[in-house]
Amino acid sequence: MKHKLCCDGILRRDFLKAGALVGTGLGLSDYLSLAKAGSVAGKAKAAIYVRLAGGPSHMDTFDMKPDASDTHRGEFKEISTNVPGIRISEHLPKLARCADKYAILRGVSHTLAAHRLGAEYLMTGNRPLPSLKYPTYGAVISKELGGPRDIPRSVAIPKGAVAPTGFLGLEYGPLETGATPKAGQPMNIRGLSLSNGLTLADIDRRDSLVKRYDTAFGSFAKEDKVLSGMDEFSQKAYEMMRSGRTRKAFDLTREPAAISGLFDDGNFSQSCLLSTRLVEAGVRLVSIQFGGWDTHRDNFNRLKDSNLPNLDDGLAGLFRALDSKGLLNSTAVFVTGEFGRTPKINQRGGRDHYPRAMFCLLAGGGMQGGQVIGASDAKGEGPRDRVISPDDVAATFYHALGVDHTKEYHTPTGRPVMIVRHGKLIPELV
Amino acid sequence: MKQSSTIYASLAAAMAIIAAPQAKSLPTPSQRFGHEANGYVASFRKHVIPLLGVRGCNGRECHGSFSGRGGFQLSLFGYEFDKDHEEIVRDEDEIRVNRDQPENSLILMKPTMQEKHKGELRFKKNSWEYRLLLSWILDGAKNDSKLTPEFERLEIVPPSLRFTESGQSQRLQAIVHWKDGSIEDITELTRFRSNDESIATVNEIGVTTATGRGDTHIIAFYDNGIQPVPVYLPVSDKLGDAYPEVHATSEVDQLILAKLRTLGIVPSEKCTDDEFLRRVSLDLTGSLPLPDEIRSFVASKSSVKRSKKIDELLKRPAYAAWWTTKLCDYTGNNAQNLNDPVFRNDMARQWYEWIYHRVKTNVPYDQIAEGLIMATSRQKGESFQHFATGMSHYYKKENPVPFHTRESMPFYWSRRNVRKPEEKALSFAHAFLGVRIQCAQCHKHPFDQWTQQDFKKFQAFFAPIQYKANTPKGEKGSVMNYQSLMKEIEQFVGYDKKKKNNKKQLREEIRKRANAGKPVPWQELHIVNTKPRSKGGKNNKKQNYSRRVITPSVLGGEDIHLTEYDDPRQPLMDWLRSGDNPYFAPAFVNRVWHNYFGRGIVDPVDDMNLANPPSNKSLLDHLAKGFTQSGYNMQWLHRTILNSDAYQRSWRPNDTNRHDERNFSRMTIRRLPAEVVADAITQATASKSRVDAMTATSKDRTIGPDTLSKNNKKNTSSLNYALSVFGKPDRTANCDCERSNEPTLLQAIFTRNDPAMNLLLDGKNRKSKGWIQEINEWYSGKTKSTAQGAKSSQHKVLVGQRKKLMAKAPQKPANKQNARALQRYRISTKSYSQALKELNQKIRNLNGGQPKQPANTRRPITERELDRLINETFLRTLSRFPTETELAKARVDVGGSIDKIAGVKDLLWALLNTKEFLANH
Repeated sequence: MKHKLCCDGILRRDFLKAGALVGTGLGLSDYLSLAKAGSVAGKAKAAIYVRLAGGPSHMDTFDMKPDASDTHRGEFKEISTNVPGIRISEHLPKLARCADKYAILRGVSHTLAAHRLGAEYLMTGNRPLPSLKYPTYGAVISKELGGPRDIPRSVAIPKGAVAPTGFLGLEYGPLETGATPKAGQPMNIRGLSLSNGLTLADIDRRDSLVKRYDTAFGSFAKEDKVLSGMDEFSQKAYEMMRSGRTRKAFDLTREPAAISGLFDDGNFSQSCLLSTRLVEAGVRLVSIQFGGWDTHRDNFNRLKDSNLPNLDDGLAGLFRALDSKGLLNSTAVFVTGEFGRTPKINQRGGRDHYPRAMFCLLAGGGMQGGQVIGASDAKGEGPRDRVISPDDVAATFYHALGVDHTKEYHTPTGRPVMIVRHGKLIPELV
Repeated sequence: MKQSSTIYASLAAAMAIIAAPQAKSLPTPSQRFGHEANGYVASFRKHVIPLLGVRGCNGRECHGSFSGRGGFQLSLFGYEFDKDHEEIVRDEDEIRVNRDQPENSLILMKPTMQEKHKGELRFKKNSWEYRLLLSWILDGAKNDSKLTPEFERLEIVPPSLRFTESGQSQRLQAIVHWKDGSIEDITELTRFRSNDESIATVNEIGVTTATGRGDTHIIAFYDNGIQPVPVYLPVSDKLGDAYPEVHATSEVDQLILAKLRTLGIVPSEKCTDDEFLRRVSLDLTGSLPLPDEIRSFVASKSSVKRSKKIDELLKRPAYAAWWTTKLCDYTGNNAQNLNDPVFRNDMARQWYEWIYHRVKTNVPYDQIAEGLIMATSRQKGESFQHFATGMSHYYKKENPVPFHTRESMPFYWSRRNVRKPEEKALSFAHAFLGVRIQCAQCHKHPFDQWTQQDFKKFQAFFAPIQYKANTPKGEKGSVMNYQSLMKEIEQFVGYDKKKKNNKKQLREEIRKRANAGKPVPWQELHIVNTKPRSKGGKNNKKQNYSRRVITPSVLGGEDIHLTEYDDPRQPLMDWLRSGDNPYFAPAFVNRVWHNYFGRGIVDPVDDMNLANPPSNKSLLDHLAKGFTQSGYNMQWLHRTILNSDAYQRSWRPNDTNRHDERNFSRMTIRRLPAEVVADAITQATASKSRVDAMTATSKDRTIGPDTLSKNNKKNTSSLNYALSVFGKPDRTANCDCERSNEPTLLQAIFTRNDPAMNLLLDGKNRKSKGWIQEINEWYSGKTKSTAQGAKSSQHKVLVGQRKKLMAKAPQKPANKQNARALQRYRISTKSYSQALKELNQKIRNLNGGQPKQPANTRRPITERELDRLINETFLRTLSRFPTETELAKARVDVGGSIDKIAGVKDLLWALLNTKEFLANH
C-alpha cells in the first residue's frame, strides 16, 4: 500500500517542476493553489483595509470610558448611536448615525508597541518573525481570489507597506497610487494614465513597436521561464492600459453626485470614495493609509480638529456609499491602527503607544454590523475577559472573503506556513 | 533466511528492479522482525522512532504537528527521544503501551485500525512493523537512547545511480554505521525523498525510478543521518567516445565538463563579443557598457581582450559599488534598523563606505568579515570621552575623518532585529555561513543534522554581545560617561524626560556637537562578561562562564571553553578561518557564482544543508579551496569565474542542453537586478556627459549608499518606486530571497508608461539633460558645434571688450578754453576711435561680414545621420549594433516619422521595453 509521506508535503523542488507548466498557461502560483485548494464559503469578493497609521487612541474613539478618573478619561464625551447600547466618541457623529453597518471590536490585544512591528502584525495577522516575512492581506487576497486581467488586483492609496508580499513573491504586490485623489478630478495613476497627450492609438502603436524589435530570443522565449513570464506580464500590462477599465475606475468625475455627495473634500474621504469605485471595478483589495494618529502630544485638539472629523466623514461615507451601491455585502472592510494608546494621559496632553488594548472595526462581507464584540476593562488598560488577538481578527477577515486561513503556503525554502496560524474565528462575525 | 531471500528475489524479478550489484547481504528489518521466531527485539532509538518516521506518525500533519493530534504529540522529525518516550509510555492507564496485554496497546491498535484512527491504516496487524513494535513492548518498552552508541554515518548502496532509460528502477540499500562498529540494514526504516520528481521518484523502500532525463539527488534520512544519492539519466547518447571534443580552458571548466560528459550534455558555444561585454559589465559592475566602449571592444583584434576587459572593469568605481551593495545585502544594512534616531542614515552610509573602500582596495574577504564580526566601539583602556570624540570626528563639518579609516565596523551588531542572541545567531549563520538554521530553533532541522541542542549551543556565543550605552565600572562618578553626557545635553536644551518636550532641539544639539567634533552620547558595541557565580570559585578562572548553562559549540564542532578567550567572538572567527570550515568560503563562492549564473552551485544560495547538495561538488570544493588559498582574494574569485568558458557561453541552447538549468552548459537568461535596471534605464537615456560622470564615480547610482534612506520618499518620480517594483531587498529578513528577480505585472507597467520612466526618456531636466533632449537641441541648431562654440565664445569676448572700451570713452573737456585739455582730448579720441574701429572689424570678420550673429540653423538629419542615431540607440540599450533587418525596420520607423527625433525617442522607448534589454543573456 502506498503510504502518504506527510512530513514535507509539497517540496521546494516542486518549484522546478512547475516550470514545465509554463506551456499550459498556469503560473507557478496557480499551480500551487490548485494543488492545495481550500474552500470556505465567503460572501465578500473584495476588501478594503484602512490603516490608521500611528495608532489611534481607543479611549477617545470607539472605546470610551466616561466613568474613568480625570487622569484617564480624556476630554471627549460619549454619544449614542443608531444602535441602542452602542456609544462612541462625540466627534464621530456621522459614524454614530450608521453604527448598524459596522462591528466594533474592543479589547483587541497584543504586545508590540513599535510602529513597524505593530503594523506588520495587524497587516498580516501573524506576529512578525526575524526570518520570515508574512504576506499582507493584499498579497494573499490577490493570490487567492484572482481577478480580471485588465485591472490591478491590489491597490494601495497612496502607498503600501514595506515588503507587502512577504515570501509570496513580488508578483502579488499592490499598485501604489503615489498620491491621494483630489475631489472632482481624474486621478493620474502611475503608468496606467494617459498623460502627456498619450492616446489609445499611441498605446497600440507602441505595443506593436516593441513587438517588432523584441525578437532576439526567437522561439526560445516560449520555453524559458523568465522570458515567457516577461511576455505574459507585458501582454497583461498592455491590456490593462488599453482597456481603460482601470483609468475609468480612477476617474472620480464619473461618480454620480448621489454618491460623491456623501463625501467631503478631504484626502481621506476622497480616498474612501475612490476605493468604492475600485472595488466596483474589480480590484480585490484596496488599502488606504490614513496617518497622523501618533498623538504623543496634544492628543485631544488633534483628534477633535482634524483626525476625527476626517475619519468620521470618510468612513461613514464609505459605509453608506457601499450600501448604496449594493456592495456592502460583497465587500469586507477592516479598519485598524497598529495599537491603541495609553489610558493614562501623559504630561504633554497626549497618549503614548499601548498595544494591550486597541479597537478594530469590521464591516461588510456578511459580517453582522451594529454590535460590539469584546470589551476592555474599566480603565481601558487591557481586555476585560475575552482576549481578541490580531490573529483572530485576521482569520475572521479572511473568512469573510472565502479564504481559509489555515491553508498552507510554502516559502521559497520549502517551509510550510499557514496564512494565519494562530487565529480563531470570531463567532459573532461568521 | 533462505525462504525470505527467495521471496525477495522473485519480488525483485516481478518488478524488474535492478538489484544493486554491490548490495551487502544483511538482513532487512522486515526479515528480522517479520518472524517472531527470529527473536529480534526492537530498539527504541534504532527502530521504534524511525518506524514512526517512515509511517508518517510524527509527520507535520499528524502527531508531529505543533499541537499534536488526538492528545498525542511526538517530536517533529523525531529526535527528542526522551520526550517522545515519555509521551508514548506515560499514560496513567498505560493504554498507549499496555504492558499487561501488549496487543491491546493503543500504539498497536490504532495504526492497524483495530481502533478508530483518523490517521487511517498505517500498517497491518502481524506485519513486520507490528511485530517490531510488539517486540519492543514485550521487552519492557524501554528508552535506550542513552545506551545506544553514537550515530556515525549512513551508507547508501549504491552511492549513486546511473540509469540508461526512463522507467528503469533500482533499489537503494541503507546501512547505518554506529560508532561501536556495528552495522545494520535499515532500508525499510529510512525515509527517502527525491529532490526532483520530474527526474526520479523513490518509494518507501528505496526503489528509485527514473522519470526524466537529467540529474538530481535522492535523499535518505535515518536517525541523525542525511545522505544524498546522485541520480543520472543521460540526456543524449553522446556518451564516452561519442562525446565531442570540447576544450576546457581552466580547472573550473574541466570539472563542469566532467559532469556534462556523464550526462551527454554538450555545452553551447562561446558568446559573441558584444554579448560578452554587456554581460560582464552588468554582472561585475552593475552597469551597461558605453557605446564607444562597445565599438572599440568589438573592433579590437587582441586575443586577450576579454581578460583585459575583466581587469579593466575591476578597477572601475562601479565594481566596488555593486559588490558593496551585495555585501550590504548579505549583512543587512538598512538605516531603519539602526537604533539611533539622529544618526541612523549616516550610520547606514558609513557601513556602506567602510565596505566600499575595502572592496575597492581588494582587502581580503575574511578581513572584511572580521571587521564586522569582531568589531569594537571602544579600544581597550580608552575612556568614554576619547571614544566619543573620536566617533564625532566622522561628522565634523570641516575635515571630517573618513569613516573607512576606522579599523572595524560596529553597526552589524547594532541592528534592532538582532538584539536577542538567537537573532544574532540566525543573522550570523545566514550572512557568513550561508546556512538557515532557524528550523532548528524549534525542532530537529529537517534537512540537516542540527538539533535544537545544537542551535542552543551555537546561540550561546552571541549572548555576551551587546550594543547599548556602556558604562563600565570605574566610569561612574566624575569622569564623563554616557549618562553624564546625555544629562548635560538634556539640561542644556531644557529637555524633560517625562514631558519629552524639546525633542527636536535635543536632536539638533546632538547633531550640532557632532558636527563640531565634540563628544556626544554614542552607544557602544561591547562584550558583557558574566561574573563567577560560586563564591568558592572566585579565583578559579574556569568558573568565569559557569553561569552559562550551555557550553557553546560551533555548528558541527566541539564544545568551546570561552574562558580561554577575551572575546567570545574570537573562537567563532577562528572557526571561520580554519581550513576545514565547510561553510565560510563555500558560502561566499556560491553567492558570487549565483551572481554570474543566476543559480548557485548550491541552490537556493543561502540554504547549504545536507539535503540540498551542490549540483557539482568538486567544482564548489575546488573554488572554495582556491579562494581560501588565495587569501580570500575577491578579485581572484571574479577573475577565475569570469575567464572560464562556462561564464562565456552563449545562451543559445542546442538539442542536448535545452532543459539543463543546473549544470552550466549554457548561460541562463536572468532578469537584471532592481538597481541595475534602474541605472541601466538612466544610463540609456542620459546625455553623454552624464553617462561619463556616472561611469567615473558611483555617486549618481542607485548602487550607492543612500537608496534606502527615507529622504526621497516624497518624490514620486524618483527611482525608489522602480527599485521596489523590481525587487530591491529590504534587508530585514535573513534570506537572499528578499531580492526578487522575477518578472511581474507592475514592472511591465513601469517600463511602458510610468511617469518616472517618461521623465528619463524626455530628459528635459536642466540639471541632468537626457540624450533625447540633447540630440533635439543639436539638430534644431540650438546647440553650437565645437567650432561654432569657439566662435561664439570669441564673439562674446570681443563684445565684452568693446563694451569696456566704450565705457572708457574720452570725455570732451567742459572748459573749452583749456587748450591743454582740448589737445589731450583730441589725442585720446583718435586712439579710442582707432581701437574701436579695430574691434568692430574683428567682430565683423567673426560674423562673416554681418554685424550680428546669425540665427539658429537647423541641422538636417541625413540618411547617414539617421543611421548614426539608430546605431546609437541600439548601442545605448542593447549594447550591440542593429542587424540588417533591424536597421531596415528602424529606417522605416524613424525615418518615416514627421519628427525624426520623436521617432528616435519611440525607438529608444521600444528597445527599453524589450526582454533583451531587461534581461542579462
